[in-house]
Amino acid sequence: MTVAADHVLADPWTCPFCLLLCDGAAVRAEAATGALSVEGACDCARRALAAFRATPSAATPEVDGRSTTLDEAVAAAAVLLRASRQPLFGGLGTDVAGARALYRLALATGAICDAAGGEALSQSLRTLQDRGQFTATLAEVRTRADLIVCLPGLPLAQAPDFFERAGVGDTTLPLVPQRHLVMLGGDADEQAALAALGRRPGVTVEALPLGDPFETVALLSALVAGRAASGAPEALKALAQRLRAARYAVIVGEPSRLGPQGALLIEGINRVVGELNRSTRAAALWLGGGNGAGTVNQVFTWLSGLPLRSRAGPLGLEHEPLCHGADRLLADRAVDSLLWVSCFTPDSVPPETDLPLIVLGHPDLPTRGRVFIPVSTPGIGSRGHLFRADGVVMLPLFPIYADTLPTLQDVLGRITEALPS
Amino acid sequence: MSGKTTRLRGGRIVDPMASMDSTVRDLWIRDSHVIEAPVEPPDTDIDASGCVVMAGGIDMHTHIGGGKVNLSRLLLPEDHRRPDGSPIALPTNPLELASCGGCAPGTLHTGYRYVEMGYTAAFEPAMVPANARHAHMEMGDTPIVDHGAYVMLGNDELFLQMLAEGQDFERIRDYMGWTIRATKAMGVKVVNPGGISAFKFNQRKLDVDEQHVHWRVTPRQVVHTLARALRELGVPHPLHIHGSNLGVAGNIKSTLETIEALEGLPAHLTHIQFHSYGTEGPKKFSSAAAQLAEAVNANANVSIDVGQIMFGQTVTASGDTMRQHANSGIASPRKWIGADIECDAGCGVVPFRYRESSYVNALQWAIGLEIFLMVKDPWRVALTTDHPNGGPFTSYPHLIRLLMDRSFRNEQLQRIHPDVAANCALASIERELSLEEIAVMTRAAPARLLGIAGERGHLGTGAAADIAVYREEADFEAMFTTPEYVFKDGTLVARAGRITAVTPGGTHFVEPEYDRGIEKLLRHHFDTQGMVGLDSFAISHDELCTCCNHGGRLLPAALFEGRS
Repeated sequence: MTVAADHVLADPWTCPFCLLLCDGAAVRAEAATGALSVEGACDCARRALAAFRATPSAATPEVDGRSTTLDEAVAAAAVLLRASRQPLFGGLGTDVAGARALYRLALATGAICDAAGGEALSQSLRTLQDRGQFTATLAEVRTRADLIVCLPGLPLAQAPDFFERAGVGDTTLPLVPQRHLVMLGGDADEQAALAALGRRPGVTVEALPLGDPFETVALLSALVAGRAASGAPEALKALAQRLRAARYAVIVGEPSRLGPQGALLIEGINRVVGELNRSTRAAALWLGGGNGAGTVNQVFTWLSGLPLRSRAGPLGLEHEPLCHGADRLLADRAVDSLLWVSCFTPDSVPPETDLPLIVLGHPDLPTRGRVFIPVSTPGIGSRGHLFRADGVVMLPLFPIYADTLPTLQDVLGRITEALPS
Repeated sequence: MSGKTTRLRGGRIVDPMASMDSTVRDLWIRDSHVIEAPVEPPDTDIDASGCVVMAGGIDMHTHIGGGKVNLSRLLLPEDHRRPDGSPIALPTNPLELASCGGCAPGTLHTGYRYVEMGYTAAFEPAMVPANARHAHMEMGDTPIVDHGAYVMLGNDELFLQMLAEGQDFERIRDYMGWTIRATKAMGVKVVNPGGISAFKFNQRKLDVDEQHVHWRVTPRQVVHTLARALRELGVPHPLHIHGSNLGVAGNIKSTLETIEALEGLPAHLTHIQFHSYGTEGPKKFSSAAAQLAEAVNANANVSIDVGQIMFGQTVTASGDTMRQHANSGIASPRKWIGADIECDAGCGVVPFRYRESSYVNALQWAIGLEIFLMVKDPWRVALTTDHPNGGPFTSYPHLIRLLMDRSFRNEQLQRIHPDVAANCALASIERELSLEEIAVMTRAAPARLLGIAGERGHLGTGAAADIAVYREEADFEAMFTTPEYVFKDGTLVARAGRITAVTPGGTHFVEPEYDRGIEKLLRHHFDTQGMVGLDSFAISHDELCTCCNHGGRLLPAALFEGRS
């Protein structure tokens, strides 16, 4: 199919490609190239849209590398899952409707489910299960936060427009004519980005070394609580003082950048927030769960009561936040098949494995496995729903064209039906 | 006439909307509705002799879906395994999908367990506007039961700003009308009026006539404005109020002041047990049930639900960040979640174990029961535990037995803290609620208070065939735990405690009219606050039906006729 003339496909359009789900841009089709262009969106949206055309994909399902019909591919996937004693569902790049369908298929097959990047999600979850947290949503940060502390570095890779959405540099917001922005850690690019933020009106910035993050967070926690913290750097003492003096401090963290044992850091930061809330106001904002993972986690939780890294096993509903990690299961060969889902991007590829592999997702996914079924992308070829970064606001996604590809939920529903009852 | 008919033969029909005297007779269903007895024999004939037949139960205040409910599940993995840590077994019924939880159940589990108990509708009382779509998604995944939600207002910065600036009342009313429509709500709830916002400004307490530290408005103004606007918008369920100072000793003063603030406007005071505390006695914590009951008896504009506490583990999930933060130190287990939400509201999730041996918990238990038994008019009382805050909804049969069986109640009284058992007014209350009164508090009154009594909450001709058939037993707890038959819109959905059909529930909501001119202000507000675009915010009928609710029916409630 060709595009007759440049035209707007969706305005406004809700971008599903980062945590912020910005909904103010317009998507256009370019007649000359058949490509999509977007006005008023970030680099992340531009990059992601480059993986789509202005017209629907003509990709077809494949079985063992051979192009085939959807019926045959569904049947082949059902055969693989039926033969599997312990399937793993990974990737999980989908939306609410896809997650609902995944849950049914997971129950029918006893599959363990873990998202791409599931380790970071699990680290956040475990701190929540152990101690809880106090968080704020984007609009609270925007309208209220006079002190924003980011660690490690700035969250620009996951959420390029974070500081625009957070109102940093917007002097019209009555409660926060002046803000102070602190970056703990961060590389040279992030230092440069921070300096640029510091040139915005009403914004002062400061970069502090993160050093050994465990020691730094422990010291900060002690300082905020007024406990002895011998050897604490002066800059950290000053930060603790700033946090205590702020009207509403927000600590923005990215679990995916905290490394192994990051849960300890998350817990430490949550403790700082808790301590501050005894006398002033503060909140954390944990950014993660992009590419559908956070949404799928929420849907599984509400349906079953249990989050990801769970399964309907022989003994019942089992939740194992450590043992059910996808990497560990594959390394231990504790699973014997893998169903991979990535609807939003061809870049989320399944891990190297010799297990029977079913891939459902973006038509350009390079790994096709034994069964490959290209499916529609919510927000491009079909409607959908995702949670925003804060896990509170769920936004509707609207298609920019009527897709020829089936939706993930259609495909999963057919596979579920094709299994023996 | 065509359509499949069912006769429930010879049951004792308890249908308070028709009469407070129950009668033994047949009840007929054709397809989805109750009909007059036809001439032809029934397609299905069910022997209901020895049974009590009631309309399906309606829980008008139960936290079944949305952000804080899902946070409760995430916080409490221990609620989703057995006490010894082993997994909860998968369902043996092939109609059920695996789902579990006691005080924080999965939505699937919630739907199945409500239906098995004879309930056919449940209303989520605290839907944050920014989280409305999520709440509807969860309710849509709660099978079989009809549902609806009250949207939270009165802590949103826009409302407080408009009130503080003295903007025209009509504009505030229009904004409320827009919010109700956009979020597909069934009513409006205010939680700690102004207090959730005040906590964001580091205010730790807000009495009814105390000013919000930033906006300089009082809870009295907030309550009155919201109640008046709902009246004028014609929303059938009046303002649903979670009052100021929840859980604080002496908060009966705030409660009575809140009633006074209404100046005769209709309102529903929710989980009133948590707001009926005095300061007498050695522990400066006492029952104010008598004062509360006196106020309710004297103010016909006010209805209540109780929020009875039940002993054992639960989780308190509330929009009242201010009070939940204050209570977080007594969390059990020791962990809690709080959040400031989107210039709209907040939430606090604090797990809690109510103990019989605790003086305070024992007194809370007694206060709830005293309120049930001291308020004279059952039509203004709904039976709730404020699930899960006072206890999980699955404890309703036990609660019903406490209310209907004085000797059982007195037995239980002997198990609680001895100082409470010896001194509480409950010990001397002889009243036992009748089956008819229970039917009022669990279906007829909620249906009326919600404005859905045309089709729901009764068994008259033309009523929706939401029906529970209970085998009469001396043990009311056993009787109300496992009805023999439960019908939802005429479909047999449970038989003797086993789900027999899984249908999608319908969504109750209300669509008041308002001046569309308000959208200009709202568009500006949404843009500057950095929230989502106005158009993405609103939930359409199509989205509600097909995306949220698996094609379940849309059940718009009629507006109040006397609206301006």
